[in-house]
Amino acid sequence: MKLEGEHVFNGPRGDVWEMFYDPAILASAVPGMDKLDVVAENEYEGVMNVRIGPVSGKFQGKLTLTDVVEPESLTLTVDGRGAPGYGKGVGKATFIQNPDGTTTLKYDGDMNIGGALASVGQRMIDSVAKSMIRSAFETLDKALEARLEAKKTGEEVNFTPPTTTEFAGSVAKDMVGGFTKVPELRLILYILPVVAILVILALVLSK
Amino acid sequence: MTQLVKINVTVNGVPYEREVEPRLLLSDFIRHDLQLTGTHVGCEHGLCGACTIILDGQSIRSCIMFAVMADGSKIETVESLGTQDHLHPVQEAFMEKHALQCGFCTPGFLMTIVDYLGDNKNPTDEEIREAIDGNFCRCTGYENIVEAVKLAAKKMAAHS
Amino acid sequence: MADRVFHKSILRNEDPQILVGKAQYLDDIELPGMLYAAFKRSDYAHARLKSIDTSEAKALPGVIGVYTAEDFGDLVKPGPLQVPPPTAIKGATYASRTIMPIVKDKVRYSGEPVAVVIAESRYIAEDACDYIYPDFEPLDAAIDLEKALEPGAPLVHEDLPSNEAAHVIQERGNYAEAAAKADVIIKRKIYMDRVAAVALENRGIVVNWDDKAQMMTIWCGTQSPITLRNATATRMGLFENQVRVITPFTGGGFGPKINTSMPDDVLLTELAVRLNRPIKWYEDRRENFLATTSERDQVHYAEIALTKAGEILGFKDVFYHNSGAYDSYMMTVPLNTQTHTVSNYRIPSFYTEIIMVFTNEMVVTPVRGAGRPQGVFVMERMIDAAARELKMDVAEIRRINLIQPDAYPVSTGIIGQDFVEGVLDSGDYPTALNKVMEMIDYKNFREVIQPKARAEGRHLGIGICTFTEGTGVGPYEGAKITIGGNGKVSVATGVASQGQAHYTTFAQIAAEQLGVEVKDVKVTTGDTAAFAWGAGTFASRGATVAGTAIHLAAVKVKDKALALASKALETPVSELELVGGFVQVADMPQKKISLGDLASKANPMRGTFPPGAEPGLEAVAYYGPPYGATGAGCMAMILDVDAETMKPKIERLVMVHDVGTPINPMVVEGQVHGGIQMGIGNAFYEKIHYDETGQLLTASFMDYLFPQATDMPPKIEMGHIENPSPLNPLGIKGVGEAGAIPTPAVFNQALEDALYDTGVEIMESNLSPSKVFTYVQKAKGG
Repeated sequence: MKLEGEHVFNGPRGDVWEMFYDPAILASAVPGMDKLDVVAENEYEGVMNVRIGPVSGKFQGKLTLTDVVEPESLTLTVDGRGAPGYGKGVGKATFIQNPDGTTTLKYDGDMNIGGALASVGQRMIDSVAKSMIRSAFETLDKALEARLEAKKTGEEVNFTPPTTTEFAGSVAKDMVGGFTKVPELRLILYILPVVAILVILALVLSK
Repeated sequence: MTQLVKINVTVNGVPYEREVEPRLLLSDFIRHDLQLTGTHVGCEHGLCGACTIILDGQSIRSCIMFAVMADGSKIETVESLGTQDHLHPVQEAFMEKHALQCGFCTPGFLMTIVDYLGDNKNPTDEEIREAIDGNFCRCTGYENIVEAVKLAAKKMAAHS
Repeated sequence: MADRVFHKSILRNEDPQILVGKAQYLDDIELPGMLYAAFKRSDYAHARLKSIDTSEAKALPGVIGVYTAEDFGDLVKPGPLQVPPPTAIKGATYASRTIMPIVKDKVRYSGEPVAVVIAESRYIAEDACDYIYPDFEPLDAAIDLEKALEPGAPLVHEDLPSNEAAHVIQERGNYAEAAAKADVIIKRKIYMDRVAAVALENRGIVVNWDDKAQMMTIWCGTQSPITLRNATATRMGLFENQVRVITPFTGGGFGPKINTSMPDDVLLTELAVRLNRPIKWYEDRRENFLATTSERDQVHYAEIALTKAGEILGFKDVFYHNSGAYDSYMMTVPLNTQTHTVSNYRIPSFYTEIIMVFTNEMVVTPVRGAGRPQGVFVMERMIDAAARELKMDVAEIRRINLIQPDAYPVSTGIIGQDFVEGVLDSGDYPTALNKVMEMIDYKNFREVIQPKARAEGRHLGIGICTFTEGTGVGPYEGAKITIGGNGKVSVATGVASQGQAHYTTFAQIAAEQLGVEVKDVKVTTGDTAAFAWGAGTFASRGATVAGTAIHLAAVKVKDKALALASKALETPVSELELVGGFVQVADMPQKKISLGDLASKANPMRGTFPPGAEPGLEAVAYYGPPYGATGAGCMAMILDVDAETMKPKIERLVMVHDVGTPINPMVVEGQVHGGIQMGIGNAFYEKIHYDETGQLLTASFMDYLFPQATDMPPKIEMGHIENPSPLNPLGIKGVGEAGAIPTPAVFNQALEDALYDTGVEIMESNLSPSKVFTYVQKAKGG
C-alpha cells in the first residue's frame, strides 16, 4: 500500500525539529503508545495498543533509522508485530523550511499489513488511520503552538495532550460523520508507519 | 480466576439457574451448558444466521450475545417447535418441500420463519426472500425454502 | 415393470431428526474428559521461522500443553499424496510437494500452523494463541501465476529449480493445421479466481484413543472416511481395524472436506495418544477462510479457429493453474478443466497445455465444479467472442457445432482426472439446447421483449450456454446389505454424506429390489466399522458408483431370499415375488413368508449348513465404472443490469439437465438449485482475494459476499432430459456439481448482452459492481 502525504507546521523548521525531539509529546499524540526504548543508535523498540473495529491487541514495534541527513530528511523502517497481525513499512520523511516561516513535512513510503488486521480489519483501517493521523497532527499543531508561546514568554510549556477518551471520541465522531477532510493525504495511510515516523523523529531530533 | 456470574434463563419453558463466565457466548451456553445442540454455529461473527433463536419474542443471533446478557429472558430454540412424531407446521412444510439438505442452517431458518410468520400471515415471495435474507444456505439455493414458507403460512392459517 | 419407489420423489428419511434438532454434528459431540485444541497460525505468507516462544502460553491456567514442530519429531514430514500423479499422460512432468502438518523452518502460506495448544476449554486454547511469539524472517511472496515463473522469483520450495509444479500437454488432431485452414482466429486472455466452498458447518475433528482397547476413534465431517482411517493406521503403525472413523451429520462438504492427513488429524491423533484424553478441534469462520482449501484460480490464453460460417476447426488453450503452496491433490482440478473445455462441441483439433504453479497461497483442492467451471467458462466465452466477430447469434453458433445424438460413445482423446481417456457415454445436446430455448422463449425475447426493453432504456440481456459434467468416476465403491430379524433392511456403504439425501436415495435403490418401504431401509454411510472399502464422496459420484454397488448387492440379497423362500414355500423361484416385506407366491399371495423369518432361517443355530452357502440374507457388492458417466445440459439466463450502479437482477433462469435416470427427481432438483447458488456467487459475488504479499483480505462474510435469498432469481425453472447412462444398470449419472458449472459463463454472456450499447467484453469471472463499472468505462473509451 502506498503511503504519502504532507503537513504544514506553523513554525520554523528548527522549532518543529525541537518539538519532535520530545518523545513524550509525540507519544502522547498517539494514545495507546505504551513505551518506547532506545535499543541502539537509530534503533528503537516500543509497545502500542491497537484497536481497529473487532481487531485489538498489543504490537511490539521495531523502528530503525537510516540515511539520516540532519535536519532535512531520513528513511525509517517500521516493523510491528502482535497478536492482531503485523505491519511493515518503509518511508522517507523530508522537512522543508518554507520562506513564510512555516515547515512542510513530506512523507512517502510503502506499507504492508497482515494477519487479522488485513483479513478482518482492512475496511476500517483506512478511515481509522486517516482520522488518527489527522488528530495526531492536530495535537502536534497545538503542541508546537504551546512551545512557541512558551519560547516567547519564557514560561513553561503549557500543553496538555488530549486524553484517551477525548481522542477516541474525536475518532468516533470522524467515523460517524464521514471523513472528507485532509486533502493533503493521498491514497492509503496506515497508523503504524505514520505514528512511527512521528515518534522516531521525536527521538532523532531529541539528540 | 474469572468471577462467575449467576444467571437465570427460561429455555423452551424450562427454568435454568447457572453460573457462567461473563464472556461465555449465548450460543455456547445453549449448546454446551444446556446440551441443546439443535442451534448451530456457522460463523461466530453474527453474519450467517445459523444460530438464530427467539429471545423474549424476537428472533436474534445467539453467537454475538453473551449468556449473561440473557439473564431473566425467555428463550425458545428449535427444540421447542415439535417432535419427530409431531412436527411443527413449518417443519412439516420444510420436509414436504425438500427445503433442507445438510440441515445445518435449518434450525436458524426455522426460528426466523416462526417469528416472521407470527406477524406476517400471508407473505409474497418477495417478502419472504427479504425476511430470510439474513440466513445463509449453501445447499438449497433458497428455492425450496421459499416454497416451504408459503406452504407453512397456509398450514398455520388452516390450523388457526 | 414400472418402478415402485425408484425414480420417485420420495420425502427424505433423514428430515424429521434434523428438523427437530436431534441430528448430531461434529461440535455436538461431548466426551468425558475432553480437551480442546487451537492452532497458532502464521500471519506471513512466506517466511522463515527462526524460533518460537511458547513459555507464556504454557503458563496460562487451563493450558495442558503447547506443541511446536520440535515436539513432534519425525511426524513433521510431507504427508501422503491425496491423488496419484499424472504418470498416465505421456510427457507429463510434475513435482510432488505435499502438505506439512506443521511449520518446521519455513512458512509457505498465510495460515500455516506453527503451534497447537491443548487446553481445558476452547476459549482458553484460543486465548493462549495470543501468547505464542514466533520469530519470523519475512520473505518476498510468489503470488501472481506468471510472475512466479520468472527467473529470480521467490521459490516456494527451495529444493526445486522453479515454482513450476507440473506441466502437461494433451492434443487431439492437430491445432496448427486447423488454424492454417481457418478463416477466423480469435485469441483472448481469460481468467477466473478462487471461490471458497463455504459449507455452513466449519471443519472440526474429535479424536479419542482408548488405551485399554488400543483403539483410535475419529469423528470428522470428512468426505473420505476410509482414506482418513487408512492413512491414520499406516502413520501410527496400527491395523486398519484399530482405527474407526465416524462421520456425524455433516453441514455441507463441497470439496475441501475430502482432504486427509491435514494438520488437525495428524497432530491431534498423536496428542490424543500422548495425553490419553479425547481432543476436539472446531474452527470459526475466519479460520475456515484462512486455512481451508479453495479453488478456481487460473489464467488462460485461449485461441479458437473457425470457418466464416462459424464452424469450429480447432481450439487451443494454454493455461496457468494455481496449486497454492503444496500440491497434495496433484492435477485433478486442471485435468478437469482440460476435459471440460471442449465437451459439447465437435472440435476435431484441440490442444491444451497446463502449467501448474506453486504460490504462497492456501493450497488448491476441488470446490464444487473442481476445474470444470473454468473449462466451460473459457470455451463459452471464446464462442461468444467468435459470435461477436462473425455477427452470429449466440445460440446458433453453438447449435451448428454441437455433437450429434448419434455420435455416442465419443472418444475425446483427452485423459481426465481418472487417468483414462474421457469417453462421452451418452447424451443429446441439440435437444437440450432446443428445450432451453423453448423454455426461456428465446425467439420472443429477441424479437419482442428485448427491443421493447431497450426502447425503454432498460439494459436487459440474455445468455445461453451449454456444458457437460463428468461424473461417476472410479475407482469403485461397495455396499453391504443385510435383512434383519425385524424384516427391515440395513444398507452400509463407504461413501460419506453431507446432505445429498443418501439416507433416502440409497434406501430407494435397495427398497425397489427388496419390496420394502423406503422408510424401512436404514442406511449407514461414512462409518468404517460398518463398511471400510471405497474412495469417498467427490466428483458427483456417490449416487452413481455407490448407488450401483447398492443395487448389485440388493439384487444378490433378493436372489438369496428367493432361493431360501423357494425351499420354505416349496414353490419355484420363478413364481415368487417380494412384496411389502414378504416373499409370496405371485398368484397365491396368502402363501408367503416374511423377510424377517427368512433371515432367521438363513442363520441356523444348530444342525448342518449346506456347503458353499452363506449365512443370513446378506450380500456385498462392488462396482467400478470403466470411465465416468457424463451428464450435460444447457442454462439460459435473462439479466437486468442497472447501467449506473451495475447492480444485476436475474429475471429468469432456466436449467435443462440430463442426469440419466434420476433416483429421486426432487433430490436432483435440490442439488441443481444449490449448485446454481454457488455458480451465481462465482459469477458475481464471491472471490477469495490474496494481496500481493499473500495476505487473505476476504476472511469473513463481511468481505466474502455470499448469495442470499434476494440475490437468486425469483424462480429456478428446470427442464429434464433423461438419457440413461449405458455404464451402469440403473442408467444413473451424477448431478452434484451441475448447477455450479455453466453459471459464470452464462452470466457474463447475459451481462455483455445487457450492456450492448457499451460494447463491453468481460473475460474474467468473480465480478462485482465496481469491476463491471471499470470495464464499461474502458469500453466507452474512458
